[in-house]
Amino acid sequence: MQTLSLLVNRLLQLLPVLLGIAIVTFLLLKLTPGDPARLLVGDRASEETLAAVRQEYGLNRPWPVQLGTYFGKLAQGDLGESIRFRKPVSGLILQFLPPTIFLVLYVVSLTVPTTLLLAIAAARNHGGWADQAIRVFGVCGFTLPVFWVAIMLSRLFGVELGWFPVSGYGTGFLEHLHHLFLPALTTSIWLVPVMVQSLRAALLEKSEADFVTAARSKGLPERGVFWRHILPNALLPTLHLLGVMVAYLIGGTIIVEAVYAVPGLGRLMVSSILSRDYSVVQGLTLFFALATVLVTLLVDIATTLIDPRVRL
Amino acid sequence: MSAPDRAAPLLEVEGLTVDFETRAGPVSAVRGVSFSLAPGEILGIVGESGSGKSVTCRAILGLLPRTARVGGSIRFDGRELTHFSEADWEHMRGRQGAMIFQNPASHLDPLMRIGAQIGESLRHHMDRSGPEARRDAIHLLSSVGIAQPELRVDSFPHELSGGMKQRALIAGAIACRPRLLLADEPTTALDVTVQARILELLRALNRQHELAIILISHDLGVIAEICQRVLVMRDGALVEQGRTRDLVATPKHPYTQLLIASQPGLRLRRPRRTGAHAAGQPLIEVQDLSVSFRAPFRWIDLTKGQVRAPRIRALDGVTFALHPGETLGVVGESGSGKSTVARAIARLLSPSAGRVLFDGADVHQLTGQDLLRFRRSVQMVFQSPYDSLNPRLTVRQTLAEPLRRHRLAPPRKIDERVAELASMVELPQDLLDRTPRQLSGGQCQRVGIARALAMQPRLLIADEVTSSLDVTTQAQILSLLERLRAEAGLTMLYISHDLAVVRALCDRVLVFQAGRIVESGLVDEVLARPQNSYTQTLLRAVPRLALAPQAQFQAEGTAHAPG
Amino acid sequence: MSVLAQHGLSARRAVSSWPGTLVLGLLIIGGWLLLAIFAPLAAPFDPNAVDILHILEAPSLTHWFGTDQAGRDVLSRTIFAARVDLFMCVMGVVPPLLIGVTVGLVSGYLGGVADAVLMRIYDVTVAFPFFVLVLAIVGVLGPGLGNFFIALALVGWVTYARLMRAEVLVIKTSEYALAARSLGFGPLTIMLRHVLPNALSPVLVYAMTDAVLVILAGASLGFLGMGAQPPLAEWGVMIADGQSYVVRAWWICFFPGLAAVTLGMGLALTGDGLARLLR
Repeated sequence: MQTLSLLVNRLLQLLPVLLGIAIVTFLLLKLTPGDPARLLVGDRASEETLAAVRQEYGLNRPWPVQLGTYFGKLAQGDLGESIRFRKPVSGLILQFLPPTIFLVLYVVSLTVPTTLLLAIAAARNHGGWADQAIRVFGVCGFTLPVFWVAIMLSRLFGVELGWFPVSGYGTGFLEHLHHLFLPALTTSIWLVPVMVQSLRAALLEKSEADFVTAARSKGLPERGVFWRHILPNALLPTLHLLGVMVAYLIGGTIIVEAVYAVPGLGRLMVSSILSRDYSVVQGLTLFFALATVLVTLLVDIATTLIDPRVRL
Repeated sequence: MSAPDRAAPLLEVEGLTVDFETRAGPVSAVRGVSFSLAPGEILGIVGESGSGKSVTCRAILGLLPRTARVGGSIRFDGRELTHFSEADWEHMRGRQGAMIFQNPASHLDPLMRIGAQIGESLRHHMDRSGPEARRDAIHLLSSVGIAQPELRVDSFPHELSGGMKQRALIAGAIACRPRLLLADEPTTALDVTVQARILELLRALNRQHELAIILISHDLGVIAEICQRVLVMRDGALVEQGRTRDLVATPKHPYTQLLIASQPGLRLRRPRRTGAHAAGQPLIEVQDLSVSFRAPFRWIDLTKGQVRAPRIRALDGVTFALHPGETLGVVGESGSGKSTVARAIARLLSPSAGRVLFDGADVHQLTGQDLLRFRRSVQMVFQSPYDSLNPRLTVRQTLAEPLRRHRLAPPRKIDERVAELASMVELPQDLLDRTPRQLSGGQCQRVGIARALAMQPRLLIADEVTSSLDVTTQAQILSLLERLRAEAGLTMLYISHDLAVVRALCDRVLVFQAGRIVESGLVDEVLARPQNSYTQTLLRAVPRLALAPQAQFQAEGTAHAPG
Repeated sequence: MSVLAQHGLSARRAVSSWPGTLVLGLLIIGGWLLLAIFAPLAAPFDPNAVDILHILEAPSLTHWFGTDQAGRDVLSRTIFAARVDLFMCVMGVVPPLLIGVTVGLVSGYLGGVADAVLMRIYDVTVAFPFFVLVLAIVGVLGPGLGNFFIALALVGWVTYARLMRAEVLVIKTSEYALAARSLGFGPLTIMLRHVLPNALSPVLVYAMTDAVLVILAGASLGFLGMGAQPPLAEWGVMIADGQSYVVRAWWICFFPGLAAVTLGMGLALTGDGLARLLR
């Protein structure tokens, strides 16, 4: 019951954020130099189409009215129309969504076990050579440019060794796994160090915590102390970081999809920008923001389930 | 202290040394400490911070960090602990010896239910099943005096009060019936009434289960409450040990004498000024003052998890007056509103109702020059030695700042005046160019006092200024305040949780409970014949030594040993 | 005089007690700064000199990093590109830092409506993935470094403001800030003299991380053709250029990327060292 009321409260708190997201994406299109109607319909459109678009979007009316129109369309799930594909943006997003979702889940499932393994190995041998190596990897790993790693890996594994395809998405689950391995690996190579650094620090901090000393003073074996007290407490901040990193992850997949020619949302974003298909850019930005909000919400809910203090 | 005729000792410590390896080389924390403990005995170890008392205690359970090197011998029940392997320790801890700690809140795992934390050692040491461990945990909770143990067994630590957390920790420590309990400052973080009940519980456990206890405290009063014997430690060495009664009455070592003479209740009390000041206009008049806080409504921050925050009344219709030249004490436990009243008077927070009059003018209506004049007249000294000084400024800068701001000295004379202030608070001149981190707690408090004095205030508000200091340092700061009060004719509002300190320093006292004044009057009268039941409880809870009557003849000074 | 001597002494002692990562990080950054400033002296060739007789040559004693598809010396181009990337780093970090610190300080200390609005702006901004928002803004404004800096200024300050605000909220209630109020100091003095210096540490540490993110974002934009424009040598642009030839000539892509990694490592190590030093 308390959890439920908390959830309701949390959803209510989301309202202003959603409103803000809508306003930002609206303003995004206002940033474009030139005639907004022309941008919406493309260079070759006739004067009549232009007039019709102006009428439809109320572009000749004051800003607040335009904003209202935009909100109205959003409420109906209408994200506008792509001039390149001549299709509604919402349909386009659904069409390009599966590879991206597959990729994100792939990255997470590569990242989480690796992170746990490395961080625990480092923390349990604190000060040893493995710990030092993992620490340096943690500090420096996230400075790797994703696209550079992508190119180098695709040359090594794709061209030189020929183990993995270097582009596309394939058909069927196994082919997806095969095709998206290098993109997922590339992203993980960037993500794992950040997560390892956080979890390792949390593990070391918690292993000095007072409640751990108290558990040791009761004669609990070191192994039990670690799994029952240190690890659960150290996971909380890392779980939160994972939520934050998913936001960066979406940014990371844009680049990776561009390099490996994965037909996902990131590639759609880049190609739409290059072909000045602005309503797609606008719709995608909105969509990415909503996805981030959703992930954050899920992480918050997971936190409530683990941490009793949040339930209050 | 060897007693060959008595039963074999439970614990024998001989020539114990502990060194910590640091980058700067080994640092010695304990130097050759020897003592023994009989089964079922309660032994106290008293000492100030850095005396090595906690390290000694942790060495007995092998809980020192890896950088520690232990020398000498610790024999428990005839077995040598210094040669223990990790497996031996796991068998011994919890089963033979257990430990409770200073800050109960941080020593409980926040993610685990109380019952599970107590049951953990039962399941490990006694092979209890889950349901059995739970049943035992409920039993243990009720035996340490927690009401509704069937409910509390499923509580999380944050749902318990400080005293209850300490009881839960004790329940976990005694779960497997150890023969030795190490209690490291178990009541220091608790209010005095809670402290009294925890000490009572420890004594009861000692009697019922023949549980031997080593009680570590900085507070000789707490030790004297329940310990048969006491060790006095200083700088890692044992300076004196003996029966508590003898040691308190006839301390032999000069440091023990200093420690006892520093007990606030045992200090010379100056002649009270009573009645005479009540006439004439009061300096401060607090009229029906209320302060309430509303926790801010959080839109996004889930960690607080509040939908609506109720208004919290920190102060509820408080009225009193403070006359020039008098020292008024405010006592109460945490959350009683005593600090709030100080900050409202100093105009550091605004009241939700009522007024504070200074020289007849409403403090919270002052603006411009009047406000500046008020700021000069009313100064405050704060509780935490380190937090009350800007860590980036040297002492000299800290003291010069107010002088410049209020043009209290011509620019050329500022250095001179700073030096003068330092000597007023007995702060060595060579410390002036240091930053707070390079000073001791007592030295920081002196700087805080000097900063307030720089303004030449008429009213000095001291908010728990000695509560985080060692007792000998506390004694020095108290006599400094007393001297300054006399020399500068200061009016003082002294806020403390410690009745003994208030008795030593104040003329009148106000007793606060839950934001209200429950009793007020002359210090001697209130403390001798408390009318209010809460005041009585509070007074009863204070360790006897602190208010001991033999104080009277003992006040000469620090180094004299009484006959 | 004696005071000066004391300061000199303590400063020297301070440097020797710095964490190793900080010293190493600063050395790396310093090395790149020197290379960038003295690029014409350090680079063996003209970075834009086309030499069609020597295209796609593997690393050799003449061309340490090889040559690209137009026969340009990769080493010289990498060194000159450091100028662009370091400039990007400064322009991408400093304005957001200044805006964020100011806004966070004032709104955190004064509270009230401005503070509430700031928090809503923060909530909305972090709802967008950082790179997506930067990419979208640059996308609609048009490609180029100038628009990249505008996008970073629009997006980046919020994190600094949030960090600063959190510190300010703690320090505001510290006893030394209260003492300053009771000594009659106004909000401005307290903010500048007591709050700001003590709140700056986490901001500086984050600035190092932020600098890495800016370099990565800038290089990524360059790679996508939306950041620095060719023929201006920039590491991301160089990697993009070399991508089509990577099968025959891996060195065109490899060395600019390595350069970005070393500079990033210098920044990350400095951040790690700063965090240890200021803790």
